[in-house]
Amino acid sequence: MGTENPGRPNFPMRPSATPFASAPPTVRPFSSSGPVVGSESSNVRPAPPGAPPTMTPFSSGGLRPPARFSDPSVPSPPLTSVPPSGGPYQRFPTPPFPSAAQTPPARAPPVGQPPFQPPGSQVSVPPPSFRPQTQVPPVPMGSPPQNVNFPPSSANVPQPPSDSSFSGPRPNFQMTSPLPDHSATKSSFQPPFPGYPGKQPAVSQAPSPFPAQQGSFMPPPAPPSPFASQQGSYAPPPPVAANLGYQRDQMQHPGSAPPTGSIQSLTEDFSSLSISSMPGSIEPGLDYRTLPRPLDGDLEPSSFLEMYPMNCDPRYLRLTTSAIPNSQSLVSRWHMPLGAVVCPLAEAPEGEEVPVINFASTGIIRCRRCRTYVNPYVTFTDAGRKWRCNICSLLNDVPGEYFANLDATGRRIDLDQRPELLKGSVEFVAPTEYMVRPPMPPLYFFLIDVSISAVRSGMIEVVAQTIRSCLDELPGFPRTQIGFITFDSTIHFYNMKSSLTQPQMMVVSDLDDVFVPLPDDLLVNLSESRNVVETFLDSLPSMFQDNVNVESAFGPALKAAFMVMSQLGGKLLIFQNTLPSLGYGRLKLRGDDLRVYGTDKEHTLRLPEDPFYKQMAADLTKYQIGVNIYAFSDKYTDIASLGTLAKYTGGQVYYYPSFQSNIHGEKLRCELARDLTRETAWEAVMRIRCGKGIRFTSYHGNFMLRSTDLLALPAVDCDKAYAMQLSLEETLLSTPTVYFQVALLYTASCGERRIRVHTAAAPVVTDLGEMYRQADTGAIVSLFCRLAIEKTLTSKLEDARNSLQQRIVKALREYRNLYAVQHRLGARMIYPESLKFLCLYGLALSKSVPLKGGYADAQLDERCASGFTMMALPVKKLLKLLYPSLIRIDEYLLKPSAQADDFKNIMKRLPLLAESLDSRGLYLYDDGLRFVIWFGRMLSPDIARNLLGPEFAAELSRVTLTEHDNEMSRRLVKMLKRLRESDPSYYQLPYLVRQGEQPREGFLLLVNLLEDQMGGTVGYVDWIMQIHRQVQQNA
Amino acid sequence: MAWDLIFWVVCFFINIALLASSFYQLLSLSDLEADHLNPFEASTRINSIVLPEFLLQGLLCISFLLTWHWFMFLFTLPIAAYHLMLYLNRKHLLDVTEIFRDLNTEKKYRFIKLAVYLLLFTVVLFRLLSASIFFFFAWKFEELDIRTSLFY
Repeated sequence: MGTENPGRPNFPMRPSATPFASAPPTVRPFSSSGPVVGSESSNVRPAPPGAPPTMTPFSSGGLRPPARFSDPSVPSPPLTSVPPSGGPYQRFPTPPFPSAAQTPPARAPPVGQPPFQPPGSQVSVPPPSFRPQTQVPPVPMGSPPQNVNFPPSSANVPQPPSDSSFSGPRPNFQMTSPLPDHSATKSSFQPPFPGYPGKQPAVSQAPSPFPAQQGSFMPPPAPPSPFASQQGSYAPPPPVAANLGYQRDQMQHPGSAPPTGSIQSLTEDFSSLSISSMPGSIEPGLDYRTLPRPLDGDLEPSSFLEMYPMNCDPRYLRLTTSAIPNSQSLVSRWHMPLGAVVCPLAEAPEGEEVPVINFASTGIIRCRRCRTYVNPYVTFTDAGRKWRCNICSLLNDVPGEYFANLDATGRRIDLDQRPELLKGSVEFVAPTEYMVRPPMPPLYFFLIDVSISAVRSGMIEVVAQTIRSCLDELPGFPRTQIGFITFDSTIHFYNMKSSLTQPQMMVVSDLDDVFVPLPDDLLVNLSESRNVVETFLDSLPSMFQDNVNVESAFGPALKAAFMVMSQLGGKLLIFQNTLPSLGYGRLKLRGDDLRVYGTDKEHTLRLPEDPFYKQMAADLTKYQIGVNIYAFSDKYTDIASLGTLAKYTGGQVYYYPSFQSNIHGEKLRCELARDLTRETAWEAVMRIRCGKGIRFTSYHGNFMLRSTDLLALPAVDCDKAYAMQLSLEETLLSTPTVYFQVALLYTASCGERRIRVHTAAAPVVTDLGEMYRQADTGAIVSLFCRLAIEKTLTSKLEDARNSLQQRIVKALREYRNLYAVQHRLGARMIYPESLKFLCLYGLALSKSVPLKGGYADAQLDERCASGFTMMALPVKKLLKLLYPSLIRIDEYLLKPSAQADDFKNIMKRLPLLAESLDSRGLYLYDDGLRFVIWFGRMLSPDIARNLLGPEFAAELSRVTLTEHDNEMSRRLVKMLKRLRESDPSYYQLPYLVRQGEQPREGFLLLVNLLEDQMGGTVGYVDWIMQIHRQVQQNA
Repeated sequence: MAWDLIFWVVCFFINIALLASSFYQLLSLSDLEADHLNPFEASTRINSIVLPEFLLQGLLCISFLLTWHWFMFLFTLPIAAYHLMLYLNRKHLLDVTEIFRDLNTEKKYRFIKLAVYLLLFTVVLFRLLSASIFFFFAWKFEELDIRTSLFY
């Protein structure tokens, strides 16, 4: 150990050192475990002043630590790292403390991690501790004088606290180790501790039980007391102790709130619902008002970030539990999915954009063996010449250009200029080795159905106008390419060569052997052929307005588009209005067969009928073409087959049943515009790496796997998330921390090849309770949702719902068993606080469109389209869709003057119960995909008149919401606009419905009040009862 | 007698072809798993020989039936029936898009098939040898009837 060396010198220096010799065990631990040592070493230090007498106290006090430390210290061996640092430090010893102490704080800030600030504060504290060493008197001294007998102990006591927090005790290493912790070194020192800045409680925790004692206990307890004091004050800071924390974690995990950990353990650490009547009785002794509801929306797990401040933001990566189980038996007892949900390009709020780094000459720094990208958790050693990969712990050379000296604390001196070593999310500019071909230009290709139904619905016109209006905003300006094909029973190609004044149309009617009539010019550079493209879009609606062709040669047209695009790849937008009826991939009307439902063949309805679609999807992916499907038909269009194209090419399905341009036009316009203008990553591949011993085994979402762990994503954007499950490869994980790294290699619209890297660390735990405590409902629900939807593709809807319910039951039963012995649970339903919404989301999931009911409950197309959508939704949006918000808005609209901040107050979400609806009110239901505005029967007619104009008494299905010239209407429109801006990935079209207006009220709103019992489905209360009963059955 | 020998020789070669095809498919799958092959290529490779294999195997099965080799027929029947079922359900080809999800089952299925083919191979080899011995050395053993009771 580097630490050791420095440590030794210290001892000799002090006379007191000799005494220590007698207590070798303690010494050892220190030396080896740099960070931890802090506390111990502190003890030692203090001793010097106290000299010999200290000995006894020491041994007693010291002994304790060894036990805890022993483990950590052993792993810490990374002697290699320390030695280099040791050299520099040696200087410190003499001038040491003061200077050293000061330096650390100074450095901490540069690190730039806000989370550390607490440490920073601690840091400041340490100085006092140091002083004690040099000058005994300071704070602690106060007490010592009193207990003359105990001088040593007292001295020790005070210091330890400071030390431990600070690690200051042995300035030498301590300095190095602790500080580095914040940045990177920590991990180098001890693999075990690496990540845990927040965790520290470990050491302190032990003492924590004594907090009260401080004052009261005199001699013997004295030692502990210092700790206690520490705890309160600095508990969070000491990165060092982290490890230890774990060992005792089992009992009380610091995770949620380090300082309070111990106290927490004394109370029940689960939440419960008391169900007064025994299972089986008729009366559900459950008050529906007390049931947990996510009315505040989705809360991202914060403890994770606190623990590892350098982790990427949860908007990019969420783990189903941020405590990774260390053994397979633990995994099998955790009945939830174990995995992650990744949204690599999630939109970052202003000011938190992912920094772009160009290594230029150096090349991207990656681990030689596991190809991990350099990240904040790697550690530099050997005076900065080597770095240790945090994922496979291989020692790599630091390339010459990337070399930087390490400072006294083992941090690179250029750390604050290296965002890749400070932030969990960065973007590297990839050099040519990362390109198979020159980066492609952004390419948009449109395949538009112009058969009679498309013309009648007005779809063509809206599409043409929208595309035209977006031409300026298409990403990648000078290089953007664009092309069009239209089709009915024939395929129409358009030559848009820039030298033409208007496009030339070429018709191919041979559907069995499709060919491309022109080698070039079907796909043109937008900026060069801008005029031709505009002319084309202007004339498109009128060109086909008299078309009476009812056929649709979709398959051949798709092939044609594929041939045109296969050179470059890009994004293919398909606008389809009817069932494909000619050529390859023609489909049959199969969705209306009632008899198939409930049989074993049911699931085939949700699978593509013709293998053509899967084959085509695979080919499209291979050539980097991403497909987005826009489907408009009022009749069955077999979205199951069409959507397959989007599913395997990383696209999405937009479904507008019975599209009418005057009603749905705005929705299509906004969503198409978003699709065209949002930042898109082209020809991307994504991989997620994780530490040794665990492996990602299955992936869920819209993409195709290129190899066992490589997701091919021809076009990916901020609205797409991917879920994956992991499994343990080894029976026992020995590392205390597991790292995950998501890498997305893509071509940005500007033509630069980039790699976006998100890194996160998670602790490994040995305790099931801890896993539950750290669970993330959002990620779990997201994975459950994807698994359930996948299950509907191979079995009946009912089976999918049942297996979902079973898993929830099993998980809760396991959890119950954890506590059933210690606590008298009686007829209470218990669940971890972190999973309090799990049951509700489970219910919501089984009532969601892809899973609900049977034949009659949702159109097959709607089901499939919704399934495709939910497979791609990021966590937050999925949760919103599952448990939509219901808000009462009439009061807000009536208020004389509403300030801007008033808006927030009005957004009070109500439980989704029929009871929440007051017939005198006006309610807004928002599930992220649409708005439903519900007019109570007794709502004052003024409001209705103001909002709807003169038609207010008419049937609301014919009324569209427009802005009228009065304050109330303006305010409503403004409010809807604000809501839409907060969630721009879809345009929420407002549907108006009046209370009692059947059947519209039923299917628009009442069905979605998922806590109510509706036609054969269970309500929330019954659902809880049902689950509770099942949990108890085999408990 | 000559016909018998010819029949077993033909069976022998068919069997070798079946073995080879199974082996090749397995190899492709493990290549895919090890990332030496991309899914597009792997699936075209495998799918291109699936049908020929089915046909050959069917042929073998039927010829056993027609030549009244009951034991051999029953031995090959299960696989033939399974192939037929796969074909009728249109599940005989690998699905490129979900290839990784099915990888393990597909491998297991092919391993079992390989084992059965190997077993079949030993039996056929044995019959072939016995047929050839009988054919070439029949005159030497004319007095001995043991072999007949042994081999037939």
